[in-house]
Amino acid sequence: MPREHLLKVGVSGVRGVVGEFLTPALACAIGQAFGAYVGGGRVVVGRDTRASGEMLQHAVTCGLLAAGCEVTDVGVLPTPTIQMFIPAARATGGLALTASHNPPEYNALKFFNARGLFFNNYERSELLDLWHQSEFRQATNEEIRAVRCDYDTPPRLHVERVLKHIDVERVRARRFRVALDAVNGAGSVLSCRFLRKSLNCDLHAIAVDPSQPFPRVAEPRPDTLGQLAELVRRERCEIGFAQDPDGDRLAVCDETGRVLDNDDVLALAADDVLERMPGDVVVNLTTSSVMDDVAAWYGCKVHRTPVVEANVVEKMQAVGAVFGGEGANGGIIFPAVHLCRDSYTAMAFLLDRMARTGATVSALLSRLPRYFRESDTLPFAHGRMGSVIQALEASFPDARADRSDGVKLMLAEGWIHVRPSNTEPLVRLSAEARTEEGLAVLCRRARHVLES
Amino acid sequence: MRRDVPRSLRISQVGLRGVIGAGLTATHVLDFATAFGTFLESAGPVIIGRDPRASGVMIRHGVIAGLLACGHDVIDLGVVSTPIVQHAIRRLDASGGVSIGASHNSAEWNALKFFGPQGTYLSTAEAGELLDIYHLKKFHLVDWDRIGKLKTDSSALDLYLDELAGAFDFTALKRFKVVVDCCNGTSSLILRRMNERFGFSFILLNEKIEGVSFAHEPSTTERTVALQLAPLMRPLNADAGFLFDADSDRVAIATNEGVAVSEEMTLPVLADHQLSIGRGTLVITNLSTTALIDEVAGARGGKVVRVPVGRQAAMDALASFPAAEIAIAGEGTGAVMPPQFRFVYDGIAAMLSILTMLEERGRTLAELVAAYPRYSILKGQVPLISQRIPALLMDLQARYSDGVANVTDGLRVDWPGRWFHVRVSQTEPAVRIICEQRGQPPQALFDALVEHVRRFA
Repeated sequence: MPREHLLKVGVSGVRGVVGEFLTPALACAIGQAFGAYVGGGRVVVGRDTRASGEMLQHAVTCGLLAAGCEVTDVGVLPTPTIQMFIPAARATGGLALTASHNPPEYNALKFFNARGLFFNNYERSELLDLWHQSEFRQATNEEIRAVRCDYDTPPRLHVERVLKHIDVERVRARRFRVALDAVNGAGSVLSCRFLRKSLNCDLHAIAVDPSQPFPRVAEPRPDTLGQLAELVRRERCEIGFAQDPDGDRLAVCDETGRVLDNDDVLALAADDVLERMPGDVVVNLTTSSVMDDVAAWYGCKVHRTPVVEANVVEKMQAVGAVFGGEGANGGIIFPAVHLCRDSYTAMAFLLDRMARTGATVSALLSRLPRYFRESDTLPFAHGRMGSVIQALEASFPDARADRSDGVKLMLAEGWIHVRPSNTEPLVRLSAEARTEEGLAVLCRRARHVLES
Repeated sequence: MRRDVPRSLRISQVGLRGVIGAGLTATHVLDFATAFGTFLESAGPVIIGRDPRASGVMIRHGVIAGLLACGHDVIDLGVVSTPIVQHAIRRLDASGGVSIGASHNSAEWNALKFFGPQGTYLSTAEAGELLDIYHLKKFHLVDWDRIGKLKTDSSALDLYLDELAGAFDFTALKRFKVVVDCCNGTSSLILRRMNERFGFSFILLNEKIEGVSFAHEPSTTERTVALQLAPLMRPLNADAGFLFDADSDRVAIATNEGVAVSEEMTLPVLADHQLSIGRGTLVITNLSTTALIDEVAGARGGKVVRVPVGRQAAMDALASFPAAEIAIAGEGTGAVMPPQFRFVYDGIAAMLSILTMLEERGRTLAELVAAYPRYSILKGQVPLISQRIPALLMDLQARYSDGVANVTDGLRVDWPGRWFHVRVSQTEPAVRIICEQRGQPPQALFDALVEHVRRFA
């Protein structure tokens, strides 16, 4: 029987299908464990636009108050906005109720420390120990603090942070024609204000009503953004942006209505950042080799980590990286704004580069080396991973292997990455090559091993 | 049960009550709210309100989460009295309501009270079902797209006052000079609004809405009335003094002469008024209520129906008699159901009824109270040892076999002009001992009972 992970207590928080699985009692207990873990003090709580968000926020708030925390409710906001507000508010931590790009029946609790960073593995397992132990700090009536609301400071702070790193006047002067699809997510209101008011764009927006359900698949990928592409063509926009429900990921559409590979978006942003401030780059193992090429142009080093934002962020801290991200997932991490994935930084940098160079998106893209990519999922029992890794390595004897997340096999003509999904009983297969034929050969050989 | 384990949580048919942190936790709140959301059948919204305790904020979030998760919309009235929640349930065709607050307990306590679609407390059977759902923990959590929405409503106080204004002659009543000890509770908000909106001149003590340090325990006992309210009556030359518990369902009286009156008097005085009007003959109360009610009812041709303590039992009784035969219902705690609104124990309405009596009878409050024979009641409690309760009750019954025994809720024994009631509390882990005598306090009997119960504990 296939095991569906309807509730997953994992690397990026506690995620599940709301109702039978992710229950208010569970959210409350985790809230209380979190409050005990950060030792009271102020905790920032916000959410994306999912229908279950309000309910879960009340449950988490109940648990935090019961642990003696003071709660600052920031309402519906993008995850990066919530994250960077945490240190500014002198909070001891923060929680976001968002399942990011997952379908609407899902929601999740994401945990942040006092610096506004995702909990690392050690923080997370300590929190889970407290939760499993279920001996929470119980505040008395005298120790129960208030809930305060602040819906305005976090977005103001976020926009100020981002704009510090671009030439705002140059962008404003161009009055770019921009298309936006905010998936009716947490970025809906802020993105319109940011593009219209802060950057003086001539904005053509769809799906910017946070009270409505997601009108498309929540994950912004080339195959889910047909409406954005159409909008770009119809309104003759110079660029199109698509966000995910919590506003950390960004997909981009060029002036012809072609949605870029997220790997290429990351590379365009890296090209811009490294030109201005060279330094180390951190990406995950599945990110395209185009990142190595771009970094090489500026003599910069690329570090690779297992998949999941928290791993990238941890490594970025360790090496003092100037830039990072996860290629296929979209969204860039620029630590000078905040050590988190942020679609606003990505939008600002792309517009700034267009203003500075005068080039179109497709012209900027043509600068990048071309790769052919494929990704796929195969049903899989995770218990077999060890033998699959051995078989793959045996069938590619010339490859350089990296076993830090499943296995990545690097060959002269390209690479293959096979890893178990963090959320479902699947393996994810990604491959990249310089030629279409090379890609087909790599994939065929890998599938042969996986299916035997 | 070991005696050294501090117990402050009580989950029973009357709901749940406990000291926050030490007994009543967020987990209990979430589970009970979700059980209630599962229990409610109709699709209407659920009304919630709370008293000013700091922990009420925490509980509010838990209750909202549990109800939304079961697919109910929630209408939050904020800090309001329990009667305001009950009125709103009827007005808004809600499927039920929750009042968060520990009424007469000190600030560290909190509790949840649950109401059905008529705005009434649950009946015994309904409360039992709710408790079963809570214990089973199989809740009806809805899918993501059917989760409820939260709304707030700040009009509930004014709409409640409109209903009171329709039932009482505000123009006549506002001439009285009334002093009120609000005990830092919700009555302060109601009476302040009555001053503003209708020109009443309530003088309010402890009117600050306070979450942590109440000026004193918000209980309606004679002792509490004597603390601050009674001594101010003469200096202020007031006509009447009242004290409300935190959620304003109970009321106690101080006379214009500065005498603190037992909360037991509220029901007999109002029963007398209602029976004299001649609508209905039955007075529904519990076994722990003063015997003065029997004497007052007898003089007016009424009859007292006594049921076990707890509002569920009163709800059962109210449903078991034709409405036209019921004159009034209430408790010795100072909680009385006004005949105009026979679904809600309401201290504010009880106060207005007493003022109406003063108006109609043209007498002072001291004269009004003095017209009734004096009864003296003593109340005490002893920690509970459950396994010894049956033996204790049998022993007491044998020891006091010369009286008339009633065993429907613990043991009540009656003699002419004297009675006692020993029972297990539904809200605290304690045995309650109540003893009353016409005239002087029955101190010797009370002391003997307490001593006896203590020996069993």
